[in-house]
Formats: sequence, structure tokens, C-alpha cells
Amino acid sequence: MAFLKTFKGGVHPPDHKQLSKDAAITEAMVPELLTVPMAQHIGKPAQPVVKVTDEVKRGQVIGESQGFVSANVHSPVSGKVKRITECNTPLGTKTQAILIENDGQDTWAEGCNVESNPENLTPKEIRSRIADAGIVGMGGATFPTHVKLSPPEGKTIDTVLLNGVECEPYLTSDYRLMLESPDTIVKGLQLVMRAVNCNNGYIGVEANKPDAFKIMEKTCKELSSSDARLAAVMLEVKYPQGGEKQLIEAVLNREVPSGRLPMDIGALVQNVGSSHAIYQACYLNRPLTERIVAVTGEAVAEPANLLARIGTPIGDLLRHCRFDEEKAVKLICGGPMMGLAHFDLEMPVNKGMSGLLALTDASDWDFRHCIRCGRCVDGCAAHLLPSELSIIGESGRFLDAEEANVMDCIECGACTYVCPARRPIVQWIKLAKQEIMKERLRKAEQAKAV
Amino acid sequence: MEQAVIYLKIIFAAVFVQNFVLSKFLGLCPFIGVSKKRSSAIGMGLAVIFVMTLASAATMLIYQYLLKPFKMEFYLDIVSFIVVIAALVQFVELAMRKLAPALYKALGIYLPLITTNCAVLGVTQLNLEFAKLNGITLTDCLLRSIVNGVFAGVGFTLALVLMAGIRERLESSPVPECMQGVPIAFIAAACMALAFFGFAGIA
Amino acid sequence: MDWKALSIALGSMAGIGAVLGIVLAWGSKRFFVKVDERVEQVEAILPGVNCGACGFPGCSGYAEAIVTSEATMTLCSPGGAECAHDIARIMGAEVEAVEPKYALTACQGGNVPNRFDYSGVHDCRAAVVPGMGGGIKHCTYGCIGYGTCARACPFGAITMNDKQMPVIDEEKCTGCGRCVEVCPRDLNRIDRESRTVFVLCTSHDKGAVTNKICDHGCIACKKCEQECPFDAIHVIDNLAVIDYEKCKLCGKCVDVCPKGVIVNLRKERRARKQARETAAKEATT
Repeated sequence: MAFLKTFKGGVHPPDHKQLSKDAAITEAMVPELLTVPMAQHIGKPAQPVVKVTDEVKRGQVIGESQGFVSANVHSPVSGKVKRITECNTPLGTKTQAILIENDGQDTWAEGCNVESNPENLTPKEIRSRIADAGIVGMGGATFPTHVKLSPPEGKTIDTVLLNGVECEPYLTSDYRLMLESPDTIVKGLQLVMRAVNCNNGYIGVEANKPDAFKIMEKTCKELSSSDARLAAVMLEVKYPQGGEKQLIEAVLNREVPSGRLPMDIGALVQNVGSSHAIYQACYLNRPLTERIVAVTGEAVAEPANLLARIGTPIGDLLRHCRFDEEKAVKLICGGPMMGLAHFDLEMPVNKGMSGLLALTDASDWDFRHCIRCGRCVDGCAAHLLPSELSIIGESGRFLDAEEANVMDCIECGACTYVCPARRPIVQWIKLAKQEIMKERLRKAEQAKAV
Repeated sequence: MEQAVIYLKIIFAAVFVQNFVLSKFLGLCPFIGVSKKRSSAIGMGLAVIFVMTLASAATMLIYQYLLKPFKMEFYLDIVSFIVVIAALVQFVELAMRKLAPALYKALGIYLPLITTNCAVLGVTQLNLEFAKLNGITLTDCLLRSIVNGVFAGVGFTLALVLMAGIRERLESSPVPECMQGVPIAFIAAACMALAFFGFAGIA
Repeated sequence: MDWKALSIALGSMAGIGAVLGIVLAWGSKRFFVKVDERVEQVEAILPGVNCGACGFPGCSGYAEAIVTSEATMTLCSPGGAECAHDIARIMGAEVEAVEPKYALTACQGGNVPNRFDYSGVHDCRAAVVPGMGGGIKHCTYGCIGYGTCARACPFGAITMNDKQMPVIDEEKCTGCGRCVEVCPRDLNRIDRESRTVFVLCTSHDKGAVTNKICDHGCIACKKCEQECPFDAIHVIDNLAVIDYEKCKLCGKCVDVCPKGVIVNLRKERRARKQARETAAKEATT
């Protein structure tokens, strides 16, 4: 067998995907009351534009994007605004949220859910459609998509990569989407390629999903044309193969320089879920109001891939899948490697929640000193020295970590996964990053004051 | 060609085989004292290179033109070398402070530390070996001692910077309380010295 | 005895010495640079802990700033009044007395229940990194209790008690403000010794919520607001806030607070001040 494409570093956690990989996507029940957070993306939170007791329709803008790096928020159902309050979000922050009482009618707002042909849209129009639809990176990063599609002047993008890797254990939402709706994904990819004016599109799929690869390859071949070359690429099974920079390294053999963005080397990465959402926005005029969530884990009796409305409480989804509250010791939104643990069953689904795991085994963190075995260094996909970073973090000299390039860390958690001393390396790294950002802010303010 | 080989040998010996700190155990005071941070270790190293070069040249001239003609080379070398080196460094410091303040800021604080450093005196003593060789010309002798001086300094800098790197990491390591600070630094230095003994076979 | 060799040696050494001496003397005249020796003197007086409370990079930076009159002489709070006086003597100026400052934690713990189990890095700042839950306690404004401030204190003035709350020893506290910088919940504050009435709560949760989860949390009952004869305390956004412009430190609000949120430290501080003054008197006599 020929060697599959991949990146340097990485780890091999057991994938546990068999739990939910054969469960076809089903629609989750739409609850009576939905909590729609205003901050579902990286950047400034949206500003509510509806008042209490206002009637809203599905797809209506209820939170307006604030500034360039921000995204619109739409009503996921038709109904009435009950309250504007605060809620926990899967991103681990508290934010303003609009509570909407569902009237069960699901009437679409005017102009939404109307089929249209995007053949004649200009790149600018595609971008504004995407921005209007509030699409963000649906792999979990939740970075507003229209920002990614607008490279600053002088930078050109020559290749668009679609991320169908889904390297996180347990998660199967992208896998199911690729199996069940390959042509929307590829058509979404074509739209992205048109928006940034490039001819090469690749879809990266890990080798543990051969059926998804086959179907993507077939669809690509069918839809490929001379001015839009499409291909599916099979990649080695390794975590974090689905990291943006890792995917670029694997498929294109280009490395993103320290402190730079993929667009600096002419690449653009989109998740397959985002691509599907882009298709819906441009072909069907449907804003982003629902997403696929893989509800799985050992404490869930009937793992499923649910098409859930944004704003559905995670407790509803878990109960839908008959989750055992007694057995579950840890709830994770996202994958087990990068996802965040949560305690609030009322917390709503947001645009970036690819998975919802109820685990029965939570490792205790009785960590020891670093024994310098170097496994984290071998596993680091960003080619850093996690051992050194953890020691710096442990001693509290966070600002020294900047010299050790802590800012290039992608927080994939591979180092923490392999650490035999069970050191919470990523948490130290996150802490160091936070302190460094604070220091930079302080310095900038000082410079301003002078 | 032969000359080049000789110089290469001198350089290699000065930096690795006969490393001043790690195999001759000279200059241990600044080695422990100024090896806490890499930046200051580099500053100190540069200052030592500078002083060793000057001292090598000056003492060799004194030896050839004063001590040897008057047959004092067997008992007055150390005394006169100390005086000359100390005065020379003092003078350079004074001049540098006025004429090159930037350089003074980088090196200046370390210069007084090494005016009478044993490593500097050591290199001048070792240079006398060249003068005692048979059939060596005066310029050759001077050139070799200068090269030896420069690279002895480079060897010192190497040891110092390596040590500073280690100590920066030791700082954040969980060292038992009784061993914190200088004790663990000495242990690390000993390990490094052992490693440098590996070069002894090459000579 | 070889007189000739001896005289050559003596002569040449004396010669070298004389030549070098003359060169150095000429050099020190020729290359003379004026330095202000006061910088060194001031630096010697400063405590040398490099805490940064003055806002300059370390004690030497502050010393230089004083001498070049970029900074006033009273910024060093670890050194306190004594230090300021000594500096003033060197600088040839008089300063008014510096009142000691102390740190204070605006949270009393109050048996707040936990929301979840936490098994990560035991550092308050690590607990509030987005996604780490923001502390296990139900109150998202109060003390997290992992002792980051205690570890940051350069004077060992903060200890964690058995309820995982910081206790500040005002004997050791110098008011340098390191604990203020590190606290992710912004609970620590530095204030003058004579200011003795404080609201020890920062919760903006609604009164009913606070009442449920905390024994010592402000429930926004407004009793203090009604009691205050000087209109100096107000409940703003579910939290009592003292306006020190108007406050006369009478302590009436302390007595009416049903939750013991407002405290008056006057007694303890007065006792300690007296003890300090008598000790100083004894030392001088």
C-alpha cells in the first residue's frame, strides 16, 4: 500500500466512531422554548434587534452582526420572543441570549427557503449571501466564514481544501453528512471556489472512512470541470489531521509559517458542514438555523446524528438519545480531544457544536512532574516543545512561554493525551496564551497613553 | 597548508578539548555567577573574548620585548601580566564608556568582573608555550597567541551559554529545596564537564 | 645575590607601573563621564523586591526615574513612609507622610455550593480560561479559591484558610498590588489604612439568586441605602457600592446588613496602629 498523505507529528487515539457511525441523520424534536445565544462565533457578539413579545419567523435576523469579524444570528423557529437574558455557551463563556417560544408552525421569513440559481452570482454576492446567512466554521472553531473568504488585497488563494477528516474520536456528524448529502457539499465547495476565484478544490477524508471517500471521489469526478478541478484525497488516520494547518501540510505539503494564516500561503480550509450550509444559503436561501450534532458516548443508549435547531438545550438532545444521567460522569461539547466539558443541561446547541458526548470514564488529573520522555514532542502537530511549555506554565512564568512560541499552539490536546505523567499541558498553554494576550493589551494601552 | 592545520588544531583545542571552564576549571566564578540568564551570559562571553584577545596580544609583546631580553621570563611573567591586563581592561572600559556607550551598556558591567580573572591570566600563560617552541618566528608566535586567545574566549562563551540555557530550565524545574540554586547548577556543570571530556580523545 | 637581575626586575616593574598609571590617569580625565551617584544611593534604599508597584521596571528603574524627576518619591509602597523619607533626604526635598496601604479581598466565601468537579490546574487564572468552567463555585463573581494571590504575594502576607479563602495579614502586607493584578475575578483591592468600611461582595447576581447560594453575599435589600445618613451607599446593579466621597465611615450600614457583607475594620486597625506607634516610640527612646 502506498503511503497516505499526512503531516509530521500526531497521535492515534482510539476512535470510538462505531457507536454512532451507522445512525442516519434524523431530525431532533424542536423544543417549546429555544435559547439562542448572541455569541456563537469568534469575534464580537451579535446585537439583539428584536424586543420581548415580538413575533419572529424562522430565518429572521434576530441578532445583527457587529463589525467585520462577527456573524448574524437568525431565529431557528417561528414564534414569540419571550425574554432576553444570559446563558452559558458551548464556547465556555456567558453571553446574551434570546429566548424564543416556539409556535410549532415553522413558517419561514419572507424570501427564505426559496430556491434560486446561484450560477450568475458574482464572488462579492456569494460572500454577502454567506455573511447574511450567518455562516461560521462548523467544525468547532466558529470563525465567521465570510471573513475567511475575503482575503486582504494582494493575497490570492489558489486552493480550497474541504475538511472531511473528522479526526476527533466519537464524532460522526461530518461523516454522515458526506454519505447522505455529497452533492450539496461539493456544490458548496464550488461556490467557495468561485467566491475566492480559484480553480483547485480538494476534499480531505481520513482512511478510516473509505465509503465516505469513495462517494466524495465519485461526486467530485461528476462535478469537476476544466475551470474547477475537484478531487478527494485520502489521508492517514491520525489526530489532529483535521487541524487547518495540518490538513494543508498533508494535502499541499506547504507549511503555514509561525504567526501567519493559511491564506498567506494561498490556501483556504472549510469544514464540510460549512460547505453544506453555504449550499443551503445560496441555493435555497436558508440561513444557518440548524446543524448536525453527533450525540454519542458510552452513557448514551441510542447514539444518533441529530439535525438539531440552534438553541435547543443539550439536555433535550441527550434525553432524546436516552442518556443515562446516573452513568454519565462527563459531558463534552465537541470532540473528546478539544471539546469543552460542561455542566449545564440547559445550555443551547450553537453553530459550532459538532458533537455532544456523555462519557462514563473521566480520568482524574493527579498529575506528576514532567519526566522528559518526549512523547508530547513527537506528538505535537505544531512542532513545539509541549514539555517545556508545561514546565514554564507550572512555574507560573507565562510570559517566558512566548519565546517558546506558545502562540503557535493549536490547542489540539495531543500532548496531554499522550502524557504518561497526566499533565494538563493544554490548560497551561491556554493560560499562558491568555496571560500573554493580557500583557500585550497592557503594553498597547501603555503605548497609547504615552 | 601545514599552517592552516596548526591553526585549526589550536582553535579546536581551545574551544573543545581544552575548554577553559569544563576541562581546565578556570573562570568558575563568572561561570556560576553570570550564567543565570542567556542574555547576560552572551554579554559576559563577548566581554571575555574581547579581553582575552587584547590580553593575549599585549602579554605576548611584553614577553618578547621585555621579559625575554632581560631574562626575567621565569619569574616575572605572572606579576607583569596581571598588572598589564588589569590596566588594559580598565583603560578600555574608560574609553568604551565615552566613545561607545551602547557597547558599554552591553559589555561594560562585565568588564570590571574579569580584569583579573584567572581564565584570562591562564590563557596568557598557555600562550607562552608557543614562545618556547623551537624555530618559531615572532609574528607567528603573536598570531597564534591571538588566535588562541579569541577561541579560548569562544570556548568560555560556549560553556557559559550552554550553562545559562540549562539554568534557565532548572529555574522552573521541581528541584528539592536543599539543592536549589547553585548546588544543582554545580551538578549540571559536572555533567557537562564529563561530556566535554569526550573531546579529550580527539586530541 | 644577583643585584643586577634584581634591579632590572624592580626597575622594569616600576616602569610598567608608572607608564600604565599615567595612561590610566590621562584616560580617566580624557574619557570622563558624569554619572549621578544619587541613583545608586536611592536604589540602595529601595527594598529591592522588584514588585513593580511603582509602575517602573524594578527598583533600579524606579531609582533612575526618581533622580531624573520623572517620578515622585512616594510610589514605593513596600518601602512605605520610611523609604520615602530616606529618598527625600538624598534628593534634598521634603515629602508628606505616606499612609500605609493594605490589600483586601472583596469576598468572604460564604459556603457557596459547587457546580461541578474540577480536576485541572489549581490556579484561579487557569480555572477561568474560557471553557474551563470558571471556577467550581456557584457564584461566578466570588473567590475561586485556588490561591493564586497567595502564591503571587512577594511578602507571604496571604495565606489560604481551611475554607479556601485568602486571609491577608496586614502586618506583612505592604500594599504592593501584586494580588490585585493576578486575581482573575478582580476581588483584591488596595486601600488606605484609614478607610475602614468596605462592601465585601462583588456579585451582580439578582438578590434571590445570591440569597440561595451564599451566606455572605449582597442580596440588594437596600437596607444600607435607607440607613445611611450621608447618602453614601447605593445598590447599583444588585450590589451595594460605597461612594467614598460622601462616606464618613460611621459604620451604620455595617450594623443593618443582614448578610454581614459590609465590614468595619476600624477597631482592629486602630489597635494595630497604636501598637505600632508605641513600638516606634520605644525604639527611639
